[in-house]
Formats: sequence, C-alpha cells, structure tokens
Amino acid sequence: MPPNRTAVRVRRGQSTLLRRALAERGLSPATWLPEASEGRVVEATIQPARLIEDAELRTHAVGSAQAWPGKVAFLDGIQRYHIVGYLGSTPLVEARVAAAVRVRRDRRLTTAGLEQERLMLGRPDVLRAVEDLLEDARPVVLPDDEPGHPVVDLEAARRAIDRERGALELRVGDAYRQQDEGWLVVDGSLAESPQWAAAARMIGVSKSHATLPFAGRDQVVYLEMPYGNRSSVFAPKSHAVAPVYSWALRLWPWEGRDLFHGLIRVETAPTREALDAADQIGRWLLAERAPISTPDPRWDRLLYGIHDVEVYLKSRMV
Amino acid sequence: MSREQDEVIPVGRVVATELKPSTPHQFYFWTARQSPVGIGAIVRVATVERLVYGVVTDGYAYSDLMTPLDDVIGADGDPAAVDAHPTERAEIRLYAAAVLRQEPAEPLQPVPIGDVFLATDIDVIAALRMDAYTEGERATKLPVGVYHAAGLRAPVFLDADFLLGPEAAHLNISGVSGLATKTSAVEFLLTSIFQTFPAHKGSVAAVCFNVKGPDLCFLDQPGELSAEDLELYAKLDLEAECFQSVRYFAPYKADGVNLNTLRTNRALSGNTEPLVWGLREVLDFAEVLLNRDDIDAKADAFIDFLADRVVGKEYVDTTLRQEPFRVQTFADLNDFFRAIFDYAEALGRGEVWRTHHLATIRKVRNRLSNISTRSKGLVTDDGVVNDLPWGEFQDRSVLCIDVAGLDPLAQDLVFARVVSKLREHLERRDLGVDHIIVFVDELNKYAPADGPDTYVRRMLLDLSERGRYLGLALFSAQQFRSQVHRRVVGNAGTSIFGRMDMDELATPGYSTVTPATKSKLATMPKGELMVRHPHFTQPIFVRFPRPAVMTGRDGIERFPPEQDLSLAEAVRRQLQALDRHLSAADLAGLIEGRRDVDVRRAVHATRQARPENVLAFFRSCLGRAVPLEVAPPQRGIPAVKRSSDPYAP
Repeated sequence: MPPNRTAVRVRRGQSTLLRRALAERGLSPATWLPEASEGRVVEATIQPARLIEDAELRTHAVGSAQAWPGKVAFLDGIQRYHIVGYLGSTPLVEARVAAAVRVRRDRRLTTAGLEQERLMLGRPDVLRAVEDLLEDARPVVLPDDEPGHPVVDLEAARRAIDRERGALELRVGDAYRQQDEGWLVVDGSLAESPQWAAAARMIGVSKSHATLPFAGRDQVVYLEMPYGNRSSVFAPKSHAVAPVYSWALRLWPWEGRDLFHGLIRVETAPTREALDAADQIGRWLLAERAPISTPDPRWDRLLYGIHDVEVYLKSRMV
Repeated sequence: MSREQDEVIPVGRVVATELKPSTPHQFYFWTARQSPVGIGAIVRVATVERLVYGVVTDGYAYSDLMTPLDDVIGADGDPAAVDAHPTERAEIRLYAAAVLRQEPAEPLQPVPIGDVFLATDIDVIAALRMDAYTEGERATKLPVGVYHAAGLRAPVFLDADFLLGPEAAHLNISGVSGLATKTSAVEFLLTSIFQTFPAHKGSVAAVCFNVKGPDLCFLDQPGELSAEDLELYAKLDLEAECFQSVRYFAPYKADGVNLNTLRTNRALSGNTEPLVWGLREVLDFAEVLLNRDDIDAKADAFIDFLADRVVGKEYVDTTLRQEPFRVQTFADLNDFFRAIFDYAEALGRGEVWRTHHLATIRKVRNRLSNISTRSKGLVTDDGVVNDLPWGEFQDRSVLCIDVAGLDPLAQDLVFARVVSKLREHLERRDLGVDHIIVFVDELNKYAPADGPDTYVRRMLLDLSERGRYLGLALFSAQQFRSQVHRRVVGNAGTSIFGRMDMDELATPGYSTVTPATKSKLATMPKGELMVRHPHFTQPIFVRFPRPAVMTGRDGIERFPPEQDLSLAEAVRRQLQALDRHLSAADLAGLIEGRRDVDVRRAVHATRQARPENVLAFFRSCLGRAVPLEVAPPQRGIPAVKRSSDPYAP
C-alpha cells in the first residue's frame, strides 16, 4: 500500500524570501531560533498515580528480550519554528510540523504515512499584515487578550505548535490505524486521544520523566529499578482526555550512570488484557533497545524505530 | 525488473555535501541496497539543464552507527545477537562516479543534483564518445568487447584512427601470466581489426613475434568456443573464425635442417618457412649484437666501411690480392679479414690499414664471426637466405615469426631487423599494406624501465613515438607495466589491463586508479579487461570472447611437433614437399658422400627457387661430386742419428 504522504514540500530559501517581503512590507525581519525549538517543553512535576497492580509499588523482572511478533509500526512527529520578523514588537513565527509512521517488515522500516505542514503564527494584526505572503502556510492566531510581549507571544506560539504537532500525529496515526490494526508504538503519551488510549494494539513510550508518578520511597523504588525490570502497573493522574495504564521499564543498567538512564514509561489501554500483557510487552520492548540509537544523546531510552522516524522526518524537513 | 523499466526508473540520486561535493569530474550518488550498480557501471544523471554520464569508480556502505563500540553494546558483546535485533540499521550504498561526459560540454560545471539512471545502449555510445567515430560513411570503429553491467550488454568500439594511427597509435596490455588474457586479447583484437578495419583506411597486416611456447603457433587453426563466446561475437557483429592468411617463419636449429619451432607437425608445414639470414641482412644490425663497449666510434666506422664498400659489392684492393673481393657470406668476410691481416704481417710494419687500426679490425672480425655461431640456425654462413616477403605483404594477413627457441641476443636481432625493415618499407610505401601491426610479448625484456640503453630499446622508443605517422602500430604486452620504459607504454594510445598483481597495482603508475578498481583488477576473471582509450575519459571494463583460434596447448596436443630429422630425412621431406614424385633412393644417392654444409646450401637454394625440375636443380646446386682424396703419407726427413758426440756430423 502506498504511504499516505502529503504534497507539501518546503521550498528552499522560502524563509529568506519571506523575510525580504516582510522588510518591504515595513516589518522588521528577524532570525531567531528559540531553544528547544525542535521538541516539546514539559514542566517538571510530580503527579501521584494510582497503583493498578500490587498493593505497593514494586518491580517485576520481565524476562529475556523477545522479538516483536510480526510487523510493528512506529509513530513520531517533529516540529521546528523560528521568528521571521516583528510588526513593531509583535513576533511572527514560522513553524513546520511533521509526523510519520514507519512500519517494520522483515527487519526493515519503510514509510507508511507522512504529513507535514507549514504554519505561520502571530497575533491577528501581524497575520493580517502578512496575509498575502503566507503562500502554503496555514495561519495560526495567537491570543491577543494580553498586552503584547514578545517572550509571552513566543511561549504562546510554542504551545500552539505543540498542539499542532500533536494534532498532526493524531491524524497520521489515525490514518495508519484505518489501514492497519497491527501494533503501533507511539513516541509519547497515548492519552492525547481517547481512541488511542483505548486501542488494544497501541503503546506509548515516553522518554521524558519530567512528570513523575511517585514521591518518597516509591519514587526511589521507581527510579532505582534494575535492568530488565518493570514497575507495577499504575494509572497516571493525567490531565489529558483519556485514562491509560502505565508502567516503567529499565532498558539498560543505570548503575554508575544516572537514575534515568535506560528508563522509559510505557502506556497501554486501561484493560485487563493490557495488564496481563505487561511482562510480554516489556520483553518486546527490551528487544527494541538494539540497535541502539546513537548518536542521539537519548539513545538509552530512544527506541531505534522511533529514532528512525525522527531521522526520516528531519531528512524530509530540510 | 526488465531493462525497459530500468531505463525509466532511477536507480540512484546524486548527493553532494561539503565533505563529498560534486565536481565537474566526479560525483556521488546513493542507491537502494539491492541496486545492480557496481564498480565499472556506466550511469546517467539527468536534469533539466544538464546530462552527465559517469562510470562508477568506488563504492561505500555505512550505517548510522557512530562507533563500533555502539554495536558491541547493542549486541551485549555477542556478534550473533546482531542478527536477532528486531530492526536492521539504516544503511547506505554510496557510489563515487567519475564523469565520462557532460552535455552541454560548456560551460563545464559541477554535476548537478539529480536522478541517476543505468546506462542504456545509446547512453554507452554517448558516454564513451563513440558517436564521433561509429557513425557515418567514414566510421572508424573497431569492436573491442562488450560492456556489461546490470543486465545490459553494449558493444564497445575503439577508434581505428587512434589505435592504428594517425591520431594516436599503439596498444599495450598488462596482466599476470597464466590467465591467457594478454595473448587472447590481442588475437581477438586482431580478428576484430581484420574483419572491421574500414576500407577507406586501406589495408592492414600483422607481424607477430612468438617469444614463448606455442602461444601463437596455431593462429590458422580454429579453436573451440562456448555458446557465450559465440553470443559475444554475435553482439559485436564479428565472425568467429580463425585467421585465413597466416605465414610462419622460424629459424633452423643448430643442425641447419630442423626448424626451431613447435610448429613442425607435417600437417602444418605448408605455411611454415625457415627464417634464414646472411651477412648482408645481419651487418646493418651488427650494433644489436655488439655490446656497448664494442661499438666505439672506430668500430662503428669500420663496420660502416664494410657495409658501404665491401659486403655485397665487388671490392678491389690489389694490395690485398689481385682478384676483387666478392663478400657475400660470413665465409667470404673471413677471407677478406684474412687478406688484411696477411697484408699487414707481410708488410711487417704499421698498425693501420686504410685508416682503420688493426686492433679495431680484429675486434670487429671477432664479434662478427661470432654472430653466425651465436645465432646459428638464423644466420647462415653460406649466403642462402629466406626472409619475410618484403614488399608483398597481403591485406589481412598475419606473419608470425617464432623466435621462442632463439638465444635472447638473436631474438633481439630478429626483432630489430624486422621492425626496421617494416619501417623502411612503410616510409617508402612499398610494404604491400598501408598499416602494419607488430605484436610483441614480454615487452619488459625489450624495453625495460631500467637496464642498459640497448639498440632495441632505442628503436622501440622511436617506434612508439613516431610509428603512428608511418602506419606502424606496436601491440605490446607484458606482465608488469611498471617494468617497461614509461615512454614506450606512455605513448600507447590504448591500454588494456587484465588481471593484475596487487604488488604491481601498488606502484605509482596506478595511483590514479581507485582502490575499488584496483580490487576489481586484482580479481578480474578471464575474458574481462579494463580498457583505456583516448576517447574514453575513464577506463572501462569490457568482456571479450575467446579468440576463435586454437590455443597453444590444444595445438600441441592436436599437432604434436615432429622428432628432429636426420639430414637425409630432412632433405627428402623438404624436396618432396616441392616434388612429391622424388624418390628417397635418388635423393640419398645424390647426397651420399657430400659435406653437410653443401647439402644444406643446395636444399635451401632449391626451396627458395622452387624450380620446375627439383631434382635437376638440386643436383646442380650440389655441384660435381668431388671424391674425398686420401693424401698419401709424405716421406719424412730421416731422423737424426744420435750419438754421444754432440759435434759429430
């Protein structure tokens, strides 16, 4: 089946041309790449979870790594944004978001779905001023209920881009799920979508531990979990729209490195079957730790399949 | 996937990075892992503004692995575990290609980013610039082999103007021995030239020197060919047939009656002739046989004197003797020298004869009289010569001179004289053909990179630098190109490389060859060659069929050499070849009691004259039989009677 690829292709030098046009229009062209412009920014917090398995948090050895049976797909998305100009002191942000599904058959990954989108974000007056320069970019209006502040506007743009990227991932993932009901591993949380959260063959894998589900002694148990072990299954106190089951899994020994080394958090549908399959899924995920995803600095937590999707998307978004 | 699909579906894509940029002469492209692209493949880069043809010169493969240690960690130190990884690493097949041609040629620019396609037949012609000489009424194409890659088989042609002159000339073949590549390639190429040499270019013939074994001894006999060979012949539009007009020349052995060649089987005697030279033929090339110390100016002057005034002429010097000297043979020359020395001795004074010092004369005499000894079988004392058919060379004919059994010095003499004579006749345009190809194997022996500056080497240098103007093309072969004088190989417009030795490939002469190409050269199978030709910007790999002639090994088995014959038997064989009605008894009676040297001279003269009445002519050559006279013992002087008295009478 041919992959679902959108026709949007970024033209080289498009941003440069836009900046020239902005200058002619009386705006101040700018080139600023904000920190973490390629990824989500999550605030560190503790959100106590509810244990589903075991009376108190403990660890379970999942057993030896096992290859995933049959085909499995990986979903990830990326985003890039930068300020291209100012109308007065109000920034105009250009962003690109993309998401793809790469499916693995016979140990090789091929693209099964791809979408990418160019966005132009700004307060309404800024977007109006550049309305005819947007070309293929979709305008995204930032709130203007507060007095203008470039940093605040940029933060608002970042949140909007996060949302747009999440939405794009959902679209691409849903499109794939309509074609194929096989296993789909998502980079991040399943709780963004009620459908995903309920899907029997979807797994969310989070590398980030900014939000921790336990405090005190449980947090120590959670973070000192040995290699090849998983935590008890718990239900995260999610702010998202759908409940999921979750558990942590240690892919690599952490001793001598860092508490978070090789630690991932897995999300599945909140079902009995998923609970029973936790060890099995753990064994499959253990097998996914190789090949390792170097040179990415997160290689200890980044599954190679997800890494491959990222590399693919970056190569498409030159 | 069919060829038609291949032609329209790109197999790769040009990539250019800061570290690996495209240039006007090189570019990189990646392909799918299963792509049929390999070293030597010709590809086409097609963009809207530019068409680029290239040949793959190197290949690279790598994965996204940063360090080998990452793989070790990922596999927990167990190499077997890598195959169990659920996902194969992303891997690239990256190829480097050298530009063969760009369209438009100007302005010459770096290769653009674009799709890469496998070359089609038409692309091969364009890429190798063969369109300049393969089309039209005055095409000058000569098939050299078939380019084969990714299922495509396309004929590759050389340009006759650049192989046989006048634009460029000469061909040099390098390759390790024992794979029958060098000789086979030349035999095939000669077949190709003889069948396709364009009429408007005139006539062509070949002179081959067989320097070892039976390699070239059966060019007139058909060989066995495989179906694949026949397919290649068909692809090149050539007939798979042996040479139709071949004459063999071989010197005699020291006995003067048996030919010094492996081609002595009676079935092959029809076109196998002796090569016999006399004093006249040798004297002009005395320098070949004399070492550097011998040929000082004084000796040279005296040899010139002999050549200009004495040999082959009537030389009168009454101080030496009353009757004129007619020096035709080494024996006559010896008489002449004897007369000079007698004169000097009789005079009792002086060390000079006609401005030539007697020591110089003695030295020249010693060296020259040694020639007939050192080149026995080739050089005759008695003056009956049998030479190549100078002035009567036939179009598309091969003259093969078998010098394999000769002393190296005599080989030099044969080579020097034949090539010089060819040159003389070509200069006068009276050889009989317009172009001559001279094939010599073991070039490193005749034109070594190091070693003494011999006459033969100087001649080869001159030939390689100026032969193309005359229509004389040198086809040479050697195992190690690096051991041949670089001006000789450097002047070869076309170079062919068979399987090469890695040590040889490590020499500076191959510094422009990529490691991948070297690796291919070191493992090249029989029947495959790398060709450099002035029209080809880069070397091209081609496959050629086995020549349609019998191999030396097969020839020896099919036509085993005869045992050496006695003089009587040799006389009978040779004369019966002229007149089969001659009886052995008659011939035996004629030569009974004759000196061997007289018999040999008479046989040679008869063979050369090919008279109507062979027996009568032979008898007349032998002359009147002079019975051996036994000298009666002369009466001696009586012994002196001895006594104890020393003063007694």
